[in-house]
Amino acid sequence: MQLLAYLGRRLLFVAPQLVGILLVSFFLLKLIPGDPAVMMLGPFATDDGLARLRAELGLDRSLLEQFLIYLGNVLQGDLGTSWQTTLPVTTDLAQRFPATLELVTLALLLALAIGVPLGVAGARYKKGLLRTTADYYGLFAGALPDFWFGLVLIFLFYTTWALVPAPLGRLDFVILPPPEITGSLLIDSTLAGNWQALRNAAGHLVLPVLTLGLINAGPILKMTQSTMERMLESDFSRYAEMCGLPERVVARKALRNALPSVVTIVSVLYGFLIGGAVLVEIVFSWGGAGQYAVGGVLNADLNPVMGFVLYSAILSLVIYLIVDLIYFAIDPRTR
Amino acid sequence: MSDRQPQDPVIALEGLTVAFPRYGGEPVRVLKGIDLALAPGEVVGVVGESGSGKTMLARAIMRLVPRPGRIEAGRISFDGRDMGQLDGEALRRLRGRDIAMIIANPRSELDPLETVGQQIGNVLRHHLTLDKPAIRARSLELLRQVSIPDPERRINAYPHELSGGMAQRVVMAIALACQPRFIISDDATSGLDVTVQAQVLELMRKLVVERGTSLLFITRDIGITAHFCDRVAVLFAGEIVEIGPRHAFFADPKHPYAILLLAAYAQNERLRRYWLGDTTAGAAEGPATTGCPFARRCVRAQDRCRTEHPRLEEMAPGHFARCHFPVER
Ligand code: SF4
Repeated sequence: MQLLAYLGRRLLFVAPQLVGILLVSFFLLKLIPGDPAVMMLGPFATDDGLARLRAELGLDRSLLEQFLIYLGNVLQGDLGTSWQTTLPVTTDLAQRFPATLELVTLALLLALAIGVPLGVAGARYKKGLLRTTADYYGLFAGALPDFWFGLVLIFLFYTTWALVPAPLGRLDFVILPPPEITGSLLIDSTLAGNWQALRNAAGHLVLPVLTLGLINAGPILKMTQSTMERMLESDFSRYAEMCGLPERVVARKALRNALPSVVTIVSVLYGFLIGGAVLVEIVFSWGGAGQYAVGGVLNADLNPVMGFVLYSAILSLVIYLIVDLIYFAIDPRTR
Repeated sequence: MSDRQPQDPVIALEGLTVAFPRYGGEPVRVLKGIDLALAPGEVVGVVGESGSGKTMLARAIMRLVPRPGRIEAGRISFDGRDMGQLDGEALRRLRGRDIAMIIANPRSELDPLETVGQQIGNVLRHHLTLDKPAIRARSLELLRQVSIPDPERRINAYPHELSGGMAQRVVMAIALACQPRFIISDDATSGLDVTVQAQVLELMRKLVVERGTSLLFITRDIGITAHFCDRVAVLFAGEIVEIGPRHAFFADPKHPYAILLLAAYAQNERLRRYWLGDTTAGAAEGPATTGCPFARRCVRAQDRCRTEHPRLEEMAPGHFARCHFPVER
């Protein structure tokens, strides 16, 4: 019951939060110099033509008016059109957002699978191979730029050993994509029973997921290790030790107490990577959401950017909600 | 030395010295040559201010000296067995089962994510091979023994849902879980208000005395030791400076520091002013002298005190003090 009341309170704030986010990003984007009309009509546009297009786009009105019009459209489910793709932003994002989500989700799962066990081992053992590995891993993963690491992987696994398909998008061109249901190629091709597409999509995912996963395991490892170390030195661990509980039991207690921090760092990484994976997306021509938004910023194509912001904001809010629910489940003090 | 150690002690410390290495210097010795033995069923109070080495004493007996400190010298024997000879696993089995600990601030020392029942159960499961129903039955029985009302409900409570006094009782229940031979109470009850403290102490006394468990009662409150300790020891700067049977100690304290502690505890203003008047308690650390560590704060200090380290001498049968000029009455 308490949980329901809490969820209700949270949902109440979602709408104002989203409007606020849109407002801020709208005005920030307008601060970037660049005139869509000039970009759209090209270098040979006449002044007349430019003025007409601006009026058509509503660019001659005040910023506030422009924002209110945009907000009104959003409420009706219209996020505008991208002049680059000439498609509605909702259509574009319906394709690109799942692409990014699939990539980022898998990458973070991999990062968790590496970061948490290594972090725990690093905290539990004061020396030894695992500890050394944990220390160096944190150092290197923090120091490597992800796009560069992606290029290295491409060079090794594609150019040299030809183990994976060409790093050009999510599927080979000759493969028929499965009908779109969830947007995740792995899930959709499984649902369609299209094993060829499944294998091919998985092959395309391997390198970008490795790139992002291996790099982002770094912060997860660091967070796990430092929190775990703190928990192992905390009063309750010391007490557990005095009670003669076996080391693995003490470690398990410490890990449980360290989990909220791990969940937090994962949620932060998740929100960040939706846009922050853009360099890796470019390296692998992924056609993801980050790439789409950056293209929009560079070409004064604001609707895609705003659409991206809106989608990411909603996603972040959902993630934070899930995080809160996880805290709820782990920690009795929050109940 | 043998005459002041009881026969067949449960636990015996001989020359226990704990040191922390210091960069570019002599290691810091937080415990220096502690000799102490407890007979079965005996209750010994150890009094000292913070920094005297009280907590380190508890942890050293558990063989859990925090890094980078280590037991530099001395021997701890439990039931005649040298604990230094035991491997990690054997020591672990001793802790919580044969030697139990009652801690201060139990609300922060209990695992916040586990219920009372889980925490008692952990100890029962790992030390005694009990099955689930037996663990639950035993846990409830323990909670009842430490006078926790409504144990069926409290067994599912989390530490943050307990009051300080309740948490202290839970910790006592955990300590008693495996019917240990020896219990160390480290500043337990210190965070509780006075009435609760009195209840918890009375309970502790009853449970320990009834079972004939030996208890090392470490505290900073010298008054508490008057209630139920058979012997009282005063710890200063990592050394036992006075130890004696309770009556002898309170009737005729010998060491100026012990008297200072008693005076500080006494509510009598005149007595306090008399002892505290021209001492500089808490004076800045000077260079370590080779003499009596208390010399800088001692009203009786003379030249000899600053050069010669006093030895623990027997003043009366079983009553020892470490002072060149003990107080005579
Ligand atoms: S030895 Fe001297 S300085 Fe030390 S306590 Fe006794 S009288 Fe005081």
